Amino acid sequence: MDIKIKEIDKNRWLIPKTGDMRVPGLIFSNRRLIREVQHDQSLVQVANVATLPGIVGYSLAMPDIHWGYGFPIGGVAAFDMEEGIVSPGGVGYDINCGCRLMTTSLKADEIRPYIKELIVSLFKNIPAGVGSKGAVHISSRDEARVALEGASWAVKNGFGQPEDLERTEDHGTLAGADPSVVSDRALKRGIDQLGTLGSGNHFLEIQVVDHVYDAVTANRFNLHEGQITVFIHSGSRGFGHQICDDFLKEMGKQNQPSDFHLPDRQLTCAPLNSDLGRRYLSAMACAANYAWANRQVLMHHTRETFLNTLGLAPASLGMRLLYDVCHNIAKKELHVVNGQESILCVHRKGATRSLPPGHPILPQIYRETGQPVLIPGDMGTYSYVLAGARGAMEHSFGSSCHGAGRVLSRSKAIKMAKGRSIYRELEDKGIYVLSRGKRTLKEEMPEAYKDVSQVVEVVHETDLATKVARLRPLGVIKG
Amino acid sequence: MIERTPVYELMDHTADLGIRVKGKDLIDLFENGGKALLHLMVKVRSSGKPAPLKLKVAGNDLPDLMVRWLAEILYLFEGEKVIATAIKIDSLSPTGLEATLWTSPYDPRIHKIIREIKAVTYHRIEVIEKKGLWEASIIFDL
Repeated sequence: MDIKIKEIDKNRWLIPKTGDMRVPGLIFSNRRLIREVQHDQSLVQVANVATLPGIVGYSLAMPDIHWGYGFPIGGVAAFDMEEGIVSPGGVGYDINCGCRLMTTSLKADEIRPYIKELIVSLFKNIPAGVGSKGAVHISSRDEARVALEGASWAVKNGFGQPEDLERTEDHGTLAGADPSVVSDRALKRGIDQLGTLGSGNHFLEIQVVDHVYDAVTANRFNLHEGQITVFIHSGSRGFGHQICDDFLKEMGKQNQPSDFHLPDRQLTCAPLNSDLGRRYLSAMACAANYAWANRQVLMHHTRETFLNTLGLAPASLGMRLLYDVCHNIAKKELHVVNGQESILCVHRKGATRSLPPGHPILPQIYRETGQPVLIPGDMGTYSYVLAGARGAMEHSFGSSCHGAGRVLSRSKAIKMAKGRSIYRELEDKGIYVLSRGKRTLKEEMPEAYKDVSQVVEVVHETDLATKVARLRPLGVIKG
Repeated sequence: MIERTPVYELMDHTADLGIRVKGKDLIDLFENGGKALLHLMVKVRSSGKPAPLKLKVAGNDLPDLMVRWLAEILYLFEGEKVIATAIKIDSLSPTGLEATLWTSPYDPRIHKIIREIKAVTYHRIEVIEKKGLWEASIIFDL
């Protein structure tokens, strides 16, 4: 089914309200990017989300929108706390899948000869791929603390510094977590996966700051041309997958609100103001916290690997967290709708929070600049650092895009990669990649993704976030 | 043993992986669904003597039953670290099934992992009868 869209301006497209839609759909995209999603299920998914009870404003999609399950990837929707719902399919299986970026005192020119050695050591020290077990052994009691405290558990247990917490969205601990509502299955899956990267599109990348767009903000973020940075993309692993699965089954087709005609079984939901809705949010917060602890542990092992491989003292390495953002989440946030402040439950399914300068919940270090917004590209091209901007609070419930967004299915990517060595092609571009599976490299090859620079341009021009710096990969590990 | 190429075809999905499975009846369809999932995940080989495992799965209707059945097989690997090397559905109704699975402990030296499947989704899930044959469409989150 093709959905009718109207061009509002060069970066905004409207899906008018029809059928069961309670609000219109609004997609931030340009002519080139919108063509890529016009004939798959992405726009239908935007329209489906618009039918959910209590949705406020628009069913939104960021420029990296692509076909997901339930919500589109790149979907953002906010719900009224009294009339609205929470939907596990609006958060996804990988709850608090997200990114963190570390800056260092190293210069690319000094490090280039050691990139291979670093990547080989990282590949050895950071468990990745299917069935991998974490380097951290935790008891059931520890796991419950991880679920309650998130990144702060990790810091208390020697994985990082207290300053890392103020440089993490929500200080790395989402309020309202209650491990007693998490199933034994989720706990079982989570117990040996803390400190693992995962597979698929998860990665760890050594990069160089390749271009600075906004020198003042880049300076405040401690980003300088030629500097080495490290980017980590991972989530809540099997712990989060199982929690999503458990609640989707409990919500089920038969338990849906009476005024809701379920358009897709992956969109099952529960009223926010119900025991089931509250239990899901408590379990989801446990998974969000697990993911923050996971990325905190991954950062610690990355730092240790750099120190040991390069034989440096911590002060010479100067590895510090710039920021950690999540991109699969549902959170209670304060927003202004029709001139009135109200608490809404904002679902971000493949979208990043983007808070502008002066926002009261930002830590002091980013109060003047706005929140760092981290946008990974594919492994052959650039990633971007942006700063949260005022347009996000006005137009997208404080949200921005989260990455390049896939454009080719995995099977098409594999067909296209037939007879090619993606490893060699990347090495020719100066990017050294190690991956557990050959298939992953093919599925994740650069052509499988949208042009991330186009995605970032839309976000910049619509003032959802503004460009600060561009990062080029030098070495990548993948699951 | 699970044959090397169970009856299924891949459907295109941008971010994830969809399959269409067929069966001559519902039992055949559900067995093929389970085999297809295993075929996508891992190179199935038994290590040691496979142990039989009885499994009971309840669902609200056929599509829900299919998702829950496949999710059980996925959980066995992810949570219990065992791989089913053979599957037999003993009985099936639209709201429940009983199956026997022969399982081996996951051993990374023997079982070659093909891809991580995060979950069996409900997105566009379909179990339908077509000209006397049964067909299911299932999308997995990768």
